[in-house]
Amino acid sequence: MAVASITEQSGRTVVALSGEIDMEEAPKVRRALLDSMKQKRDILVDLSQVTYIDSSGIASLIEGLQAARKQKNDLALVSVSQRARRVLELARLDKVFTIHADLATALATAKS
Amino acid sequence: MAELNPIEVPVNDGLADPLEFAAALSRSFAQTQDIDNTVREALAQIVKLSRVEAGAIFLLDDARANLICRASVGPVDVTGLSVPNGSGIVGRAVTEDQIQIVEQAYQDQAFFAEADRKTGFVTRSILAAPMSVGQTVIGAVEVLNKQNGKPFNAEDQNLLRVMAASSALAISNARMADRLVAQERLQREVELAAEIQRHLLPAEEDEASPICGLVRPIQEVSGDFYDHFELPDGTIAFAIGDVSGKGLNASLLMSQTASLFRCLGKTVRDPARLMSILNREICDTVSRGMFVTMVAGLYEPATGHLRFANAGHIPPLLRRPNQRSVELPADSPPLGILPGSKYETEEVDLNGAQFILCTDGVTEFRFGDEELGTEGLDMLIDTARGKPIGQRLNAVVEELQRAGWRSRDDLTLLAIDDGMAARSIEQRAEAERANPDSSDFLFGLSFPADPKRLRLVRPAIRAAAEACGFDENETEDVLLAAGEAIENIIIHAYGNRRGEIALAIHRMPDGLMLRIRDFAPTVDPAKIQPRKLEDVRPGGLGTHFIRAVMDDASFIPLPDGEGNLLELIKRKR
Repeated sequence: MAVASITEQSGRTVVALSGEIDMEEAPKVRRALLDSMKQKRDILVDLSQVTYIDSSGIASLIEGLQAARKQKNDLALVSVSQRARRVLELARLDKVFTIHADLATALATAKS
Repeated sequence: MAELNPIEVPVNDGLADPLEFAAALSRSFAQTQDIDNTVREALAQIVKLSRVEAGAIFLLDDARANLICRASVGPVDVTGLSVPNGSGIVGRAVTEDQIQIVEQAYQDQAFFAEADRKTGFVTRSILAAPMSVGQTVIGAVEVLNKQNGKPFNAEDQNLLRVMAASSALAISNARMADRLVAQERLQREVELAAEIQRHLLPAEEDEASPICGLVRPIQEVSGDFYDHFELPDGTIAFAIGDVSGKGLNASLLMSQTASLFRCLGKTVRDPARLMSILNREICDTVSRGMFVTMVAGLYEPATGHLRFANAGHIPPLLRRPNQRSVELPADSPPLGILPGSKYETEEVDLNGAQFILCTDGVTEFRFGDEELGTEGLDMLIDTARGKPIGQRLNAVVEELQRAGWRSRDDLTLLAIDDGMAARSIEQRAEAERANPDSSDFLFGLSFPADPKRLRLVRPAIRAAAEACGFDENETEDVLLAAGEAIENIIIHAYGNRRGEIALAIHRMPDGLMLRIRDFAPTVDPAKIQPRKLEDVRPGGLGTHFIRAVMDDASFIPLPDGEGNLLELIKRKR
């Protein structure tokens, strides 16, 4: 249940992840993100339900970001848990991703 | 001394069958190794069969200058009498290689009357026959004065000629046997020397030991040696040497050097100083032109630290896992050439590497036109990959023998396998950790290398980290590092193939230690580099995470083919 839901909200695709994103689950996240790209919208990845994420999970997020940028969309992270933030910081990717405090804030942000 | 069987010869009308005599004589000689006794016995029979008053057998000495009486029968014993070759009737028989028949001794100018004068015996007639084997005369037998007073006749001549020839052959055989006995005696002495040498080598090699040596001499005694012994603090002193030259002299110098090393190696803790002392001692005693090449050193199994000095010997070969082997060169002179030679101590941290020493019998081994060299040796050591170092050395020798080892030189090998030492230290550490005062084993589990298992393993690690007193963030870090390590094994070590992973967690006074073991081919830790963080690409992050969140992450060297062991340590803040 790594990918809890994929919804469209205010012209963005919101991919909500949950649980433990490890080597076993990361491919599902990757697939979900790449599939979402087809909508050609900006993507918000909601990490509020993520209890564990490791390098495999981070790798899926990076791949998603790269794919989004390639088609001139953005991929931002939302409700990053303390745990996920720690891992992003370890990877020094906290500056690479746009991070929104919560979904409301993200949706209120003007489209890039 | 063996008792002599009397020679029984059938007598027929006063004449013995010469062939029977010859056969009996040969049997008698075959049964004893004492030539003089046999010669006496033969002469007694000759005198009896010839029916004469006296007889003597003279044999040429080694220089063929004198004829020495080796046996005599008659009223006077002239055994030991020496006559210059060529003089006397006997001498004439020898020089002319002809039977001599003298009717009136005192009318023959050649007659050596001195003996009669000394003994009071009166020689009337003489029959003397040369004793020869092939073309070589070895002496002569003479008989004096027929008992019936008659002159010697043709029949007497024939009988004596045959008996002389038989005796000559038998004596020659007995001498050959004697030489063989002497050779055997020398052989036994050589065996004794070899036995002494074997005692100078380490008694028995322990296959589980991280240090192991072997020597294959081409002769019983060797000019090669090696030694190793443990000092009270656990340090191992070791040496390998090769004495110039062959044979007993070389082996005596080898024995001297090995004894000196065993004696001095216990107290002198600086290899360069040890070499200087050995050099001085050997210079004092060595015969001119001989010298010893040698590597001697000290190895600490606990740290992998090794110090050594090289006196003109083949450079040691350093074999690091998954790296090109390198020679550790040195250019100090051999021992025993110049008393003031300077030696230097080299240092190396083995870090799980193998340290291989050999003598030139190994590297100069020829495969056809090509010498084996250190590169060839390097390859041969991998013949028995994954085996303890002792078995690997044996495999090298077996390969050389299979390739037709006809080396002119002894084969000697000595190897240190720091990987094995590390493992036994690990076992020792494991035992120490079982002691609750230092650290304790919390749990261990083994599971298939399958990403699906990650989720199941994490709660156990979490519980262990919490049990060690880590806060939530630290616990999550431990979880992250362990997860990354296991994923690395699945992807890199096993390459997504099936395999097993063993995990052990220990509580330490100030934190936690995780040991993660796989059974995949050895991974080169140097290749597992954290990614460059500026390089934003998926993957390659795991190792970086592990190093970032743990206080220590290191591969514990295991013998080749036994997999990989990663140790992770996290300390409390």
